[in-house]
Amino acid sequence: MTRSFELNTTISNLRDLKASDLSPYDAIYLGNITCRLYEANLLEHPDDLREAIAVVKGQGKRAYVTSYAAPRNDFLPKLRKALAVAVEAGIDAVEVHNLGVLKIVHETHPGLPVHIGGLANVYTDAGAEVLKRFGAMRITPNYELSLEEIGQIQRQVGLPMELLVHGKMPLGISDYCFLLEYEEAWGIKCPDLCQQDLFLKQGDWAMKSIGKGVLSGRDVCMFEHLPQLVAEGHDCFRIEAVSESPAYRLEVGRVYREALKRAVAGMNGMEEGWWNTLRSHARIGLCNGFYFGKSGMEYLGVRPEAVASAVRRPGADAI
Amino acid sequence: MSLILHRADAPILLAPAGDPTAAVAALESGADAIYVGLKGWSRGGAKGELTSEELQEVLSVAHARSRRVRVALNTIPRRAERRYLLGRVAELIGWGIDGVIVNDPGLLAELRARYPALCITASIGCAAMNEADVAFYRDLGADAVVLPGTLSLDELRAIAQVPDVMTEVMIHMVEEFILLGKCWMPSYYRLNPTPLAEVHGEGNRLVGSMKRGGAGVCFKVCEQPWGLYLDGQQVTKRLLPSRQISPINDLSDVLDAGVDVVKLQGRSLSSTLLARLVGRYRASIDAWVDGKAAPAFEEFQLEPSWTVARR
Repeated sequence: MTRSFELNTTISNLRDLKASDLSPYDAIYLGNITCRLYEANLLEHPDDLREAIAVVKGQGKRAYVTSYAAPRNDFLPKLRKALAVAVEAGIDAVEVHNLGVLKIVHETHPGLPVHIGGLANVYTDAGAEVLKRFGAMRITPNYELSLEEIGQIQRQVGLPMELLVHGKMPLGISDYCFLLEYEEAWGIKCPDLCQQDLFLKQGDWAMKSIGKGVLSGRDVCMFEHLPQLVAEGHDCFRIEAVSESPAYRLEVGRVYREALKRAVAGMNGMEEGWWNTLRSHARIGLCNGFYFGKSGMEYLGVRPEAVASAVRRPGADAI
Repeated sequence: MSLILHRADAPILLAPAGDPTAAVAALESGADAIYVGLKGWSRGGAKGELTSEELQEVLSVAHARSRRVRVALNTIPRRAERRYLLGRVAELIGWGIDGVIVNDPGLLAELRARYPALCITASIGCAAMNEADVAFYRDLGADAVVLPGTLSLDELRAIAQVPDVMTEVMIHMVEEFILLGKCWMPSYYRLNPTPLAEVHGEGNRLVGSMKRGGAGVCFKVCEQPWGLYLDGQQVTKRLLPSRQISPINDLSDVLDAGVDVVKLQGRSLSSTLLARLVGRYRASIDAWVDGKAAPAFEEFQLEPSWTVARR
C-alpha cells in the first residue's frame, strides 16, 4: 500500500485562491497571519472565508483556517467570528501561532483539530506536550530546529510534524509596518504596498519584506532531501507561497508533488526539469533553512549552484 | 499559585542588574526587586549574567534589604539541558532565589509541577500580547506574565483584569522592529554551536540564535543599514525601525490601569545610568502611591542607550 502524504500551502485571500490552480495540493491554509489589513484577508472577511472554504472543499481538498501570529486584544473578537464561520463551513482544522488563540480554540471549539504553526515557537518536546494537552494534533516546529531535533520531538510526543519544504521562511514578525513610511514617495498605498517586490539587502544577505515581518531572501528548498524526510517518517509538507504568484504556487507545487510521489514509492532520481523550475522561481537563491543544524541561509546538497539565483531581471541589480 | 512577589497596595519596581555593582545600585536607588541572568542560561549577553558566586552575593545583599531577586533562565534549553537545569533550580531555591523568569511553556509547566511554591514569570520572550495569552500562561502555572510597554492603556486595563496572575509591564524598553520572542534573523545568517561545559554530552549553546544562544548572541542585524529594493532597484538605505519606550511622565496612567509590576529593561546598563533610571521610576511610583503629582522629567524621550549599552 502506497504511503500517503499531505502537501499544503497558504493563500491569504479569495482573489489569490481563485487565481490559483490547486491541483498539486492536498490542503490549503486560508488567511494571512501577519496583518489585518492585508488585502481582503480571509480572516477579516467572513463571507469570503465561507466561499473560500467551499472552493477548497469543492475541489476535494482539506481546508484549514489559519490565525494571527501576534494578535492584540482588539483582534480577538474578529478572530472568534472567523473561527465560528470556519467551523460552521466545515473547516478541517485551525492553524494557531499564538497561545492565547490556542486557549480560545480549545475552550470554544474543543473538537476542532489544531495545527500549531511555526510562529508559536515550539522548540522542545516539553513545549509540544503542553500544546498537545490543549488539542494540538500536528505541529510545525519553530523554523530554527534541525531535523534531528524535530525527529526527537516527534518520537517523544507522538504528533506529526509539518515541515516547510519550499518557500521563504518567516524570520520574524512585527507590530509595525515600516512600508507605510513610503506611501507618499512611492505613490503606492496599503494594502498594495506589502505585495510589491520588496527585498532588504546587506552584502550577501537578503530578506523579503512583507510589511509586518520579514521572510528569508532565499527559498528554503528540501527538494534533494525529500527521500530523507520520507525515510524519517514525515508526511506533512508545506510550500510557503503566501507572498508568491499563482505560477509559483502551481509550478513549485507540481514539482514537489511528483518528487514526493517518487520518494514515498522508494524511487530514486529527480527530473532535471524539476530542478530548473525550482531555480527559476528563486529570486535570491535556495537554502535549507536550519534543518541541518547550520545557519538558515546555507545550502547543503549536491547542487551547490543552488545558492545563486537563476533569475536575472533586466536592468536590475543582481541580488 | 505563589504570589510572593506581590506587595500589597503598591506596584513593584523591578529593575535589571547585570553584575553585583549594578544590583547594589538598583537596590539603593529604590528597586523593590531585581532580576538577574544566570550565566549560560539567559538571553541578553555575557555582560548581563552572573556566575553562581555572584548570584549568591547578590541574594545576600538584596535579602539584607528585604528586597527580592528573580533569576532569568530564559533561553530555551533542549532536552538534556533541561534535565540539568531543572535539577539546578533546586540548588538556586536552596540559595534563596525569589523567582525565575522563563521563555518556554514546556519548561514553565515542568517547573510548576516540580516546584509548586516557586514564583514563575513568563518572560517577555513568550510574546504575550493579549488577555488570552496572559490567561494561557496563568493556566500553565505562571504567577506573572511580562507584557511589552508598547501596549495601550486600554489593553493594559483589560489584561490587568485577568484574575490570579500578576500583570508585569516592561515599561522601559527598546521596541525593536521584530517582536521580542519572534525573531530569528541573526541565526539565519550565523549559527555557531558551542559546547556548554556544564551539561555533559548534549549541551550546546547555539550562538546566533536569540532563543537558544545564551550569552552575547544577537549581533544586531536590525541595527545595521539595509538597502531597500523595490522591483530590483535600490530605493533607499535604512535601519530597521526601533525606538525607546519609557513613558515616565505617563506612569500614573499605567499604574491606574492596574499594572502590578513595573519592569525596566537593561541588564547591560552601567550602575551609574541604572541608578538614575531606577531613581526616576521610584520617585514616580512613590508619588502615585501617596496620591501626589508625579515629578516631571525633562528627558522623557530617552535614547536607546538608556536601555542597552552600545546602541
